[in-house]
Amino acid sequence: MRVARGFLGDLEDAGQRAVDGLAQLATRLYGGELRLGVTGLRRAGKTVLVTSLLDNLLKAGRLPFLDVMAQGRFVAARLRPQPDPAIPRFDYEGFLSALTGPDPVWPKPTSAVSEIRLDLRFRPGGLVRQRLGGIATLTLDIVDYPGEWLLDLPLLDQEFAHWSRTTLELSTLGPRRDLSRPWREALDALDPAADADEATARRLAEVYTDYLKACRSNAVGLSLLQPGRFLEPGEMAGAPVLTFCPLPPAPGAGRRSLHALMAERFEAYKDKVVRRFYREHFAKLDRQIVLVDVLSALNAGAPGLDDLERSLALTLDSFDFGRPGLLSWLGGARIDRVLFAATKADHVAANQHVNLKTLLESFLSAPLNAVRFSGARVETTALAAVKSTETVLTDYQGQPLACVQGVPVGRDAPTVIFPGEVPANRGDVPAGAEGRFDFTNFRPPKGLGADGRGLPNVRLDQALQFLIGDRLA
Amino acid sequence: MSDRVKDKDRTWIPPMEFDPAKAVPAPVELDSAGPLEGEVLPPAKPRRGMGAAKLLVGSLAALLAVGIGFDTADMLARAFAISPILGGALAGLGALTVGALGVIAGREWRAYSRLAIVDALRTEAALLRAKAGHGKAGRLKDRVVALYAGRRDLRAAKDRLALAVTDAHDDREVLDLTERTLLDPLDRAAYRLVIKASRDVALTTALSPAALLDAAIVLWRNARLVREIAGLYAARPGLFGSARLLRRMAENIGVAGVAESADTLIVDALGAGTVGAVSAKLGQGMINGLLTARIGLAAMHLCRPLPFAPDRKPRLAEIRKELLSLPKRVL
Repeated sequence: MRVARGFLGDLEDAGQRAVDGLAQLATRLYGGELRLGVTGLRRAGKTVLVTSLLDNLLKAGRLPFLDVMAQGRFVAARLRPQPDPAIPRFDYEGFLSALTGPDPVWPKPTSAVSEIRLDLRFRPGGLVRQRLGGIATLTLDIVDYPGEWLLDLPLLDQEFAHWSRTTLELSTLGPRRDLSRPWREALDALDPAADADEATARRLAEVYTDYLKACRSNAVGLSLLQPGRFLEPGEMAGAPVLTFCPLPPAPGAGRRSLHALMAERFEAYKDKVVRRFYREHFAKLDRQIVLVDVLSALNAGAPGLDDLERSLALTLDSFDFGRPGLLSWLGGARIDRVLFAATKADHVAANQHVNLKTLLESFLSAPLNAVRFSGARVETTALAAVKSTETVLTDYQGQPLACVQGVPVGRDAPTVIFPGEVPANRGDVPAGAEGRFDFTNFRPPKGLGADGRGLPNVRLDQALQFLIGDRLA
Repeated sequence: MSDRVKDKDRTWIPPMEFDPAKAVPAPVELDSAGPLEGEVLPPAKPRRGMGAAKLLVGSLAALLAVGIGFDTADMLARAFAISPILGGALAGLGALTVGALGVIAGREWRAYSRLAIVDALRTEAALLRAKAGHGKAGRLKDRVVALYAGRRDLRAAKDRLALAVTDAHDDREVLDLTERTLLDPLDRAAYRLVIKASRDVALTTALSPAALLDAAIVLWRNARLVREIAGLYAARPGLFGSARLLRRMAENIGVAGVAESADTLIVDALGAGTVGAVSAKLGQGMINGLLTARIGLAAMHLCRPLPFAPDRKPRLAEIRKELLSLPKRVL
């Protein structure tokens, strides 16, 4: 993370990370510890993914592409008390019972950070390690946090004036133009160089928050919403750090002006919210999976795709890439593997999964090349945390057509749907492609995981192999 | 994905819903397998001058068969003239001979055709892997499983494979799963066979007193190794099958992707040379052992129903290590 300002904060971060690094060194000596971050853009199904991941690791019956399972070296997994008592625990049992109950429903989306710890016991594969100690344990911490928090990280690099300008520009584009009208009208009505007034600041922040909420709940479901904490303030609701909004430039504004007040609070937000998240959660992560709901972006047409592209570019910015050498290792954990996963792959027929993956990759192509050049490992995949459909063939004008069969949300009987063909490339999506896609959401099928082998999934094992497989070798 | 080409001319299929009653559950062939692009398969060898030789062998065999037939008929007629009982006994013997010959021929033919099946499977798998499509590898997988229908030792692996493959896996993934689940135990067993054989050869040739004996041991042990590996992967290859296998091996030993290439052969020779400095006999043993290992690995490539995935190719390195530690144990 390149941080332009806040030298003291940087120093503090560095100190904190050095301590973390030493602690990590100690844990590596007696076993292994790995922190996996899970986040998602556009309601991509983080909760379902973490639930399915835990269920499959605990039951160990449906992950043939995870080497440790395929080679029969896996012993067992067990949930453990988590290390950070202040963070809410991921409610695995609750979410699982929602999915596997007599009337299965998708778990309610979560809005804040949560954590869960899992111990994986396995026989090491290498000859030397096999002879040294019989069974090894990998402690896996899964940290689930909202994608908006990840999108906040690039704020650390920005000044208030710069951020205001880009945010204002963005608010006039596409579907945002209408949603942001009340806020922009409120801005037009006031003079940012005038003396600060708490009531005005509060009112502006409220209108701005309403705009962000409208963006998220809108049919388009936009994901580039900064500052992310405005949407889920938690215990910070009403605090001054959340009482600001972007302002048009105010040349010659004094130190007591509204502009100055907002700039000050923006800096406070960076320091107290973003930097804290970075220090307490993000900097400790070793691996990261970013879930992306590409299908709903396709459903939303051009605005959805543009928003997705912007969000993904920002996301990639946030990762501090590079191979962990000795020095950076002492400086604290750094994310060295990132997986971008297009979720809900079961909503399209299986022969389109390749296109889904290449489409996601094409969104990332330019930054990905740079990142891969730097030596970090970034992969894309198409997966489904819970497989809720079957691929079937039906007849369309005399030709066989691969479709999906399942029970759509809000209906009771199974049906067969051809939702449109996923384009293989960002460039293949023509303007005015509305009506070409209609990716339907399906209900979780009844009797999920009744065979005791874990929740059925698509490519969860390959994702796990990429994310944690090397530590289970 | 041939539809995508057409897409550009506005023939895309709009999203729609179908009657579930008309849908077919399993993904079957979506489009016919076209020619493979970009992958070069070894061309069929031209057979010059083979026609005449074949004709000679064929006509000789026919002459012999007819001769034997005439002789037998003649003999039977004379035996019946002497006594009906003697004639009956001789006729019974003759029938037994013909029956036994038939059974042997049938077995040979079955074994031979099994090798042909394995060859076909491997070619098709390479094709599917290169195309990376969807929905066609399931049947290939079933055919590979059918190859091991009678094998009790693989029952657990077969069950695991059946559970692991779902309709969401594409062709490459299905092939990978088949390799990892079903063929992995076979690969490991075959690898152990190769190591054992190369150690045997290295030791016995190092200890044997005569060069001629060396050659005999190497030939015999290699032939046995190839038969063992073939039996492990597919079936006992039989007499003609073995001959064919050995010929294919001779054709492929240099080319057929044993992972290492010519430079490692030089390393082998150098390593053996170092050992040879200690003892010429040991050095010779090493070379023979490595040759056996090479033949064994080539046999693995040729008998396996699926081609090795790039990262699963067996390597000579382990065997070399094993062999290099031999002198220590012998001396």
